[in-house]
Amino acid sequence: MAEEKTLNGLRVDKINSILNSMRDDKEFLKAVTGPWKSRVVWQGGFKAKAYMRKHAVEMDEPEGLDASDSAASAHEQLLSAVGSCLTVGYVLNATRRGVKIHDLEIAMEGNFDNILKWAGHAPGGNPGYPTVKAKCFVRADADEKVLREIWQAAIDGSPVTQTVARPTKIETEFEKV
Amino acid sequence: MAHTKLFPVTVVGSWTRPDWLIHALRRRQAGEISAGEFDHVADEAVLAAIKYQEDAGVDIVSDGEMRRDNFYSFVVEKLGGMRLMKLSQLLDYMKDRAGFEEILRALDVPAFAIKSPIAVEKVVERDGIALDEARFLKEHTTRQTKVPIPGPYLLTRSSWFEGLSDKAYPTREDLAKDVVKILRREVTRLKDMGVDFIQLDEPSISQVVYGDEAEQTFMCAALGSRTDPTHELEFAVRLVNETVDGIDGVKFGVHVCRGNWSRKENVLLSGNYGPLLPWLMRMDVDQLVLEMATPRAGEIEVFEEYRNEKEIGLGVSNPRSDDIENPRQIVARVKEVMKYFDPDKIYLNPDCGFGTFAERCVNTADVAYRKLKVIHEAAEMLRKEYE
Repeated sequence: MAEEKTLNGLRVDKINSILNSMRDDKEFLKAVTGPWKSRVVWQGGFKAKAYMRKHAVEMDEPEGLDASDSAASAHEQLLSAVGSCLTVGYVLNATRRGVKIHDLEIAMEGNFDNILKWAGHAPGGNPGYPTVKAKCFVRADADEKVLREIWQAAIDGSPVTQTVARPTKIETEFEKV
Repeated sequence: MAHTKLFPVTVVGSWTRPDWLIHALRRRQAGEISAGEFDHVADEAVLAAIKYQEDAGVDIVSDGEMRRDNFYSFVVEKLGGMRLMKLSQLLDYMKDRAGFEEILRALDVPAFAIKSPIAVEKVVERDGIALDEARFLKEHTTRQTKVPIPGPYLLTRSSWFEGLSDKAYPTREDLAKDVVKILRREVTRLKDMGVDFIQLDEPSISQVVYGDEAEQTFMCAALGSRTDPTHELEFAVRLVNETVDGIDGVKFGVHVCRGNWSRKENVLLSGNYGPLLPWLMRMDVDQLVLEMATPRAGEIEVFEEYRNEKEIGLGVSNPRSDDIENPRQIVARVKEVMKYFDPDKIYLNPDCGFGTFAERCVNTADVAYRKLKVIHEAAEMLRKEYE
């Protein structure tokens, strides 16, 4: 039996087969399209816990906000989510192109535009990040041109990055229980 | 060992690595080729490094540190009980992760690019640290030779990491005892092999005085722990002196610089040597090999009260720039330094190596060669005047 080829910790044939299934198998495409879900439950103070499938992630706020700083804040986890999605995209595209990655690190950063809006001191303005910076450091077996192309493909194809980068409609509902 | 010429030209150690050597290094680290196969490739690179230096007129040559991943982490292959860890792997053990993140951002480096040898078991010697390098170098040059090795303070400070090292060594001081023992044996054997100049690299001493106050930080090396600056400097002096105590017949130097991992001058440390000199002068070594070619090194006048106490390995060329220094400017700089050092106490060298980190070399071989050549030209001009 032929040895299964792995690259960057992924089974190359398997991942190609999965990607082809997304194109050819409507049911599979539907399953990976969504809906994706998270349920966020208040834990007291500024703490919250998000439950996603079989996983749970805690969130808190820094001590400076009279919180216990027991976990990263939601806005930090947003940066991490973008960086993690870019990481996945980079590894996917590198593997498809047969490029071996030795190390990959993405440094994320954002500054709030007007946090006074969150604090209730400003009637208008954007309390969020107007810009999110992502710097990719990679050590891989390909020339810089190829590695930059992979980076661009990761950005263009990243669901989280593109959600954050585009005007995304948030549909909200409310119910008093 | 004294040099017969005035103003001997030497290097701080590392030479820029060709791509084929980096490729071989990665393959060896990935276990795709053996150490012997890598050494075969590296032999060619060392020969080229020696040739560049000899052709440029360097009087005391090194092997370019071509076999090393970086100037200190290579010890992990030479000593038992050490594990080479990337900073990205050490993040889980960092006490002040947020503070360290700030340092990484200021330096604009990824955590994976910096590797440190961490003592995870009792550290034991195998076949020496740089003996193989020295042997090959001696076989392939007739010039005097310099072998740089990590100093005892650097090695101790970078290798002891709470949560990883404390089972084998409850305290950093416990590790220091074994480090000194190993380095003493190393320098004795290097001397016996006929190496002329042993340089103890101690760049982390700079961080104590000029660097961030964070307990765990980076200064050309991931630095696991430190206490207050005075205690650290006393510790460094003690370890260096214990390492070289009673060993004669070889020139000892201590190299201190302010960082050589980036071409961005603003991310490197700066400040004159004044705060360090009281401790450096107490180290029982012949020469201080100092970065002096950029404004970051500060005023030369700080040597006023230490006239001729030691030799100076004067940094007269910036290894991180493409500009080739003018020999007349180097001569003028040396003449300034001669207010505090006699001509026979001045050696000329670049500020630091050209490839402190194999994968982040700061210059090309061609530029490095031309920089050394210009230092040689300046030395010749000075010799005509003072010999």
